[in-house]
Amino acid sequence: MSIQTDTMADDLSAQLRTTDPAVGLRAVGALRRLAEQVEAQQVALAREQGWSWEQIGDALGVARQSVHAKYGK
Amino acid sequence: MFDRLTPAARAAVAAGDDEAALRGDRRVGTDHLLLGLLHDREIADLVGVDVETARSRLRALDETALAALGITSPDLGGAVAISRRSARQPTSGFRAVLPLAYTLAANERARRVTPRHLLLALLTRDEPDPAATLLAALEVRPADVRARAART
Repeated sequence: MSIQTDTMADDLSAQLRTTDPAVGLRAVGALRRLAEQVEAQQVALAREQGWSWEQIGDALGVARQSVHAKYGK
Repeated sequence: MFDRLTPAARAAVAAGDDEAALRGDRRVGTDHLLLGLLHDREIADLVGVDVETARSRLRALDETALAALGITSPDLGGAVAISRRSARQPTSGFRAVLPLAYTLAANERARRVTPRHLLLALLTRDEPDPAATLLAALEVRPADVRARAART
């Protein structure tokens, strides 16, 4: 009985938290930032391991030029 | 856009751009400008918060927002600087702050905009502006900062 009530309360609070656009929109931004940080890290790693800009571009699904413009020295 | 800024104010704007790069943001916002201003010791003293504290509070806001969606933030082991400085544009909030800083400087009959003017202009922003949200999360009250800034 009490377990069920706790679960319901948890569900409700989770729902309340995600219906606040300030939180939801920040989460979208945070995901984007996370993707940028992981991308920068992985591109650096790929370059260290001898990947060409073209190979990296293909792996990311973007043009070789755009990866190079973003991360090339 | 950045003419009539003192060298220190220019440095704060440049530091804000670096902060946006570190976070992986596409545009420079008022939150980044606030971090940039906090690189300046005098500004950090006025706000009562150092740049590291503000930076980690901003990260914590992100982590909390992701957690609300059931996503756990991975530990990437230190931030990676993301380049492409020239492509990073200011947000509309950032753009709104500058003319206000110019007005504040003019009211004091100052010829140039100082970091203090930029800070006072930032303090006028209301939530959900990112800088206002960060200041609230840091429990910094704009009125207190304004009172401290008036004495200097």
